[in-house]
Amino acid sequence: MRHKRISWAQFLSLPALMLYGMFFVYPLLRGIGMSVTDWDGMGEATFVGLQNFIDFFHDARAMHDIKTTLIFALGSAVLLNVVGLCYALLMNSDFRGKSIARVVIYLPAIISPLIMGYIWFFLLQPGRGFLHYAFAQLGMTDIIGSWMSSYPSALLVLVLVNVWQFSGMTMIIYLAGLQSIPSEISEAALIDGASNWQRFWRVSVPMLMPAIRINVVTNIIGSLSVFDVIMSLTEGGPGYATESLSIYIMRMCYGSRTGYSTAVAMILFFIILIPVLVSMRFTRQKS
Amino acid sequence: MKENKWGKALRVLMILIICAACLIPFYVLLVLSLNAPSRVFYEGNIFMPNFHWQNFIDAWNKSRIGTAMLNSAIITAGTLIVTIVTGGLAGYAIARHSTRYNKFVFGLLIGCMMIPGIINTVPLYILMRQINAIDTLWGMICVCSTLAMPSAVFIYATFIRALPREMDEAAALDGCSPFATFWRVIFPMIKPATASFVILNGFGIWNNYAQAVFFLQSRAKQNIPQALSVFFQQFAGAKWHLMAATAVIAIIPVVIVFLVFQKQFIKGLSDGALKG
Repeated sequence: MRHKRISWAQFLSLPALMLYGMFFVYPLLRGIGMSVTDWDGMGEATFVGLQNFIDFFHDARAMHDIKTTLIFALGSAVLLNVVGLCYALLMNSDFRGKSIARVVIYLPAIISPLIMGYIWFFLLQPGRGFLHYAFAQLGMTDIIGSWMSSYPSALLVLVLVNVWQFSGMTMIIYLAGLQSIPSEISEAALIDGASNWQRFWRVSVPMLMPAIRINVVTNIIGSLSVFDVIMSLTEGGPGYATESLSIYIMRMCYGSRTGYSTAVAMILFFIILIPVLVSMRFTRQKS
Repeated sequence: MKENKWGKALRVLMILIICAACLIPFYVLLVLSLNAPSRVFYEGNIFMPNFHWQNFIDAWNKSRIGTAMLNSAIITAGTLIVTIVTGGLAGYAIARHSTRYNKFVFGLLIGCMMIPGIINTVPLYILMRQINAIDTLWGMICVCSTLAMPSAVFIYATFIRALPREMDEAAALDGCSPFATFWRVIFPMIKPATASFVILNGFGIWNNYAQAVFFLQSRAKQNIPQALSVFFQQFAGAKWHLMAATAVIAIIPVVIVFLVFQKQFIKGLSDGALKG
């Protein structure tokens, strides 16, 4: 015998669903529809099939933006994790001022990446920025030359500024992971005659998997959709050299190529989805 | 594990260098913001400011950073309130009523968690234009709420699942409606969930630029990053001291909030991250 009525309380999730449906899911689905049109945002839209996607792969600027975005993301994701883990290993012991050091290293991560880009823009001004004077006093002039005029150096600067800003964030998460490793396990390995290196790879790294997973996935998503720091530091320059796909989408949208820009967003979606799924698979915990 | 004296000294030295590398950019920003208008960048002693405090008054008056701060505060507070109320209720429903409908809601939110905002920004822009939500704070609050919603629902559902169901039943026997049960009984018990949600999302909403650049274009409605980028484009190549002073003004509130709540912040970040 069933007495239980369907409780209306289950529908308390409705307000969230409506808000999310209207401002996230609906535009997302509508974007798929718009991506197969030549709509300019105002007039009539005509169905063009996959033309936008074909145009994208024939646009040299777009292809270069993919390259820039991928290099930026690869450099950022690898360096953020390596640097963050090194910081965490350094910080994983007791010393005076540990909590102050943790706060100081995390501090850059709370600032808007846009503002951070501007700050480094001041520091890196060729011929007059802080680093120019600092290196000049050490007798090294021209080290901070015109980094902004060449693609490799501009891209390198963007990666380094991003890593500088967010390695505190990966550090905090790795530190929490390291502290959750029971000391008995590490000591047992020591008694068994494992070297420091072996203990790191065989004990620490497997135990750190949840932290690695969250750091790698968030860094991949964040750096493949990078926007703010490039806007303030190089504005995508020189020319369009350091333009990321996110910035390209915005500029195409403002250039009245609405349909095309939604097609690019679909492509960016898959560019993000694939490495995220791959890295989630590789960091899956073996129970 | 024992570490010898030299190892420890080396460790502390390296940490000091890292800390310096994190702080020096802020210090030299401060130096630049206090430059007298006649001084070009870091001429003279690079670590010595001019203490030209007038810059901050000029920057405040010329940049509209005050309005932008107010807008950012309204957007951040509004977004947090909307997501805590709707996301909290959703988390409660999902944790307590594992129906097919709620499984769908949860799956949808978690599935979309990995989609960054830029993917749907252009069609969203069209929608916002149709409902006259461009250049409105409520529109920006709706957009930012959707970006924070999966995180809110996930955190609340996780915390509420850990609470015993007897509490709901006791509240129901006392005549509480499901809404009142959540609001009066459950919500006060999961303050740590609210704290870690605010910690994980608050700064991101405050610092939002990728959405603000689309949806907050008029000068009266700009948030801090948008106001700063407009101001910087206006003065690019000149008045560096005013640009630096504006940047200092813009980061002061964030730094103060961070320093006041740093303990809860680091704890919330460590706990929240590893649960997810």
